[in-house]
Amino acid sequence: MKDRMEEILRLAKNLGLDPYPIVYETVERTTMFNVCAYGLPTRARHWSYGRSYDHQKTHGEMGLSKVYEIILNNDPSYAFLLDTNSEVQNLFIAAHCIGHSDFFKNNCMFAGSNRNMIRHAAQHAGRIEEYIERFGFEKVEHIMDIGFALDNNIDWNKGLHRKPYGQKHVVTKYRKRGEFDDLLYREQKPTVIRKTVNDKFPPRPEQDLLWFLVNYAPLDDWERDVLDIIREESFYFYPQKMTKIMNEGWASYWHAELMFRYEGLTPEEHMDFVRDHEKVVQPGMNPFRINPYFLGYRIFKDIEKRWDAKHGKGAGREKMFQVRCEDDDISFLRNYLTTELVEELELFTYGYMKDYPKDHGGSKYIIIKERLRDEIVESMIKPLYNGGAPKISITGVGQEGELILKHESEEICTLDFRFAEKTIEYLWDLWAAPIELHVKDDPGDDVVLCFDEAGFYQKERIDELNFGEEDIELEI
Amino acid sequence: MSDDFKDIWSLRKPGAKDSKRHKERIREAIKENLHDLISEENIISSSGGKKVKVPIKYLDMWRFKFGKNNKHKGVGHGKGAPGDVIYKEDPMSGQGKAGDKAGEEVYEEEVEIEEIIEMMLENLDLPWMEEKENVREIETEETVFQDIAERGLPANIDKRRTILRNLKRNALKGKMRIGGFALDDLRYRVWEQVIEKHSNAAVFLLMDRSGSMTSEKKYIVKSFFWWMVKFLERKYENVELIFIAHDTEAHEVEEENFFKISHGGGTMVSSAFKLAQTIIEDRYSHKTWNNYVFAFSDGDNWPEDNVRCVQSIKDILPFCQAVGYGEVDINDSFYKWGSSTSSSMWSNLAQIFEKDTELSENERFIVATIEKREDIYAGLRKFLKGVDKQNER
Repeated sequence: MKDRMEEILRLAKNLGLDPYPIVYETVERTTMFNVCAYGLPTRARHWSYGRSYDHQKTHGEMGLSKVYEIILNNDPSYAFLLDTNSEVQNLFIAAHCIGHSDFFKNNCMFAGSNRNMIRHAAQHAGRIEEYIERFGFEKVEHIMDIGFALDNNIDWNKGLHRKPYGQKHVVTKYRKRGEFDDLLYREQKPTVIRKTVNDKFPPRPEQDLLWFLVNYAPLDDWERDVLDIIREESFYFYPQKMTKIMNEGWASYWHAELMFRYEGLTPEEHMDFVRDHEKVVQPGMNPFRINPYFLGYRIFKDIEKRWDAKHGKGAGREKMFQVRCEDDDISFLRNYLTTELVEELELFTYGYMKDYPKDHGGSKYIIIKERLRDEIVESMIKPLYNGGAPKISITGVGQEGELILKHESEEICTLDFRFAEKTIEYLWDLWAAPIELHVKDDPGDDVVLCFDEAGFYQKERIDELNFGEEDIELEI
Repeated sequence: MSDDFKDIWSLRKPGAKDSKRHKERIREAIKENLHDLISEENIISSSGGKKVKVPIKYLDMWRFKFGKNNKHKGVGHGKGAPGDVIYKEDPMSGQGKAGDKAGEEVYEEEVEIEEIIEMMLENLDLPWMEEKENVREIETEETVFQDIAERGLPANIDKRRTILRNLKRNALKGKMRIGGFALDDLRYRVWEQVIEKHSNAAVFLLMDRSGSMTSEKKYIVKSFFWWMVKFLERKYENVELIFIAHDTEAHEVEEENFFKISHGGGTMVSSAFKLAQTIIEDRYSHKTWNNYVFAFSDGDNWPEDNVRCVQSIKDILPFCQAVGYGEVDINDSFYKWGSSTSSSMWSNLAQIFEKDTELSENERFIVATIEKREDIYAGLRKFLKGVDKQNER
């Protein structure tokens, strides 16, 4: 077995794959459920993992889903194999994991990843256990609840490590006198420009709510640390969320490629592998869901085919390696899910019917909306923006210290108010001053959701400017 | 590198621990949302002792998330032309269960009914219970393991103490180990019955069964009484229940018939109070009994009966620890026009009671208005503890 795995790894390296060393662990089913539920098996405990653990367990034991393999983005990569896998299954899973590990190492989204996260998470867990001992379980759990409520609201582009905002100060800029100033009537313009920077707080709308709170909310050091830990782990998982289709597609492509090239399989093993491979990359029984393995695999295959046809044999493979470096799911779908492929895979968008026939009897119908490529791509991408979370920004801090937030992704959908209410209550817990969240309600009117000592309430936003404009129009 | 984690993977299984905590959180959520659960039909219609599935809507991880988006288009795969219907939502299940469609999750948690009742009835008590002159005492019984003995029933072996004894004995012999249990090692727990004595209580349940009591109203009354009876049966061993159903006339009925009978005709609430008073005088003298009278109606009393009704309550109050009147005032009824539009003809009993200063100032007369199912819990608390009034004092 070990020899066969090494043979496959050699094959992979010859073909240009560049994975981390991979440590394979064969584990029993309950351990697998644990690894699945936690994502990082060494991280601190929290009841929410218990929730997903229960979910895994019920589904697993009822045979609804079976996880054959999990691999962690780490150097070395840890891959977990189920102890009931057959040898050939383990071989092709090993090949699959080589693909994942190569992807982790070389895709640009993972460039800033902490490659020692398993140890790191274990240290996090140790610190949290210590806080639990010192400050009490309930207190720590509450802060963790808050952290997890906000861990989608990070700013990936600003990065994990950031400096605090600069001090308010005046910058002086000198404008050089240009050669043609006289011709451009610029002579009268001042040559010294003064500008105040950082006069607002925060200077620009802040999307990284956790970072803001860690730095500027009145918290104890241990509370900051707990929130920081959650933020750091959220950054660690973000690239995996954003490359699900690509990553699975890449790994599926390579397990197929490697297993077909590997000559050490018996005919029976080969048949078993082909059967399993077909299962992995099939479109799936549920017509409302696209299997990411299937989609990613087919797109990569398509890229190879097209580039080979255009630029000669071998160009396709080269292009694929470039794509695995440079794209994430959003650009991957935009750039490489072609009209022809959409047709071939029989993709469509679906939604609720608008005009019902008379005899529909009150039930809601779901219909095929269209089969247009652009519509399909956009509908797939929308849930990926910002990691799938609504974009919420801190736009300012008011006179009384109230924290003012704004929902910035109304064009996708309005917020769920029930959830928003509870979440701003959490914010209030940390910020210790009133919270105002500016949103639109379902009819499209501006409202402000507030939370202060009085609890939760809603108020209408009165925008004086708008009234003014309407008046002028009436006069005309 | 691998080896120092090897043990961790198989030994450190936090999942079970966190799953336990998750379940605890579910229990907490249930507790917080009792008022929603109180009218759950599958609890009330169950015979007790079984498990019920309770929909838990509130055990979400709060975060900012998108609301329901009817504009959103999913992406699927398969054959068909644009416009083809590919799925028909069942109108029945579509309304009740929001969790069927993608996105929202509704948990169905299995909970022991007894456990819900336990949580629900915590902190409730019968108000103004007084020590009455003996006659029949109401007892509450509790089993407490208080002592350790060397002889006892095998089922009651105290394992910890037995092992300790065994260890000690072996250690004396020179080698500390567990094993070779002798009869001498065995220790048993001994329980004692602790009996608390309480005064007698008789509870009168009065219900309007006139035509204007729609099935929804009756359902509310039924759940109310169901919880009340559960509470009483749990807390006290001997509580007498008297069921009185009335329209213009009142009858004492058996428990099992209480919710079945429905009559047309008018309503005279006073008749029920009068019958209750007769029964009290005959069988439950207030010298030896704590009497509680709880009446339910939708308030559509015959106008000429209103004065009589106020009087009959005033009459019965001195013989009772408390009198409760619950008005089920929900908007589901054709009869509703009567009480809301022409109050001169049909008037609302709760308002009349309020206007009568003598009644409204008497803290032992409790009025609760129930407008929707969720109000049941508040009403129950009001009745069974007189919480509101007692807290004000």
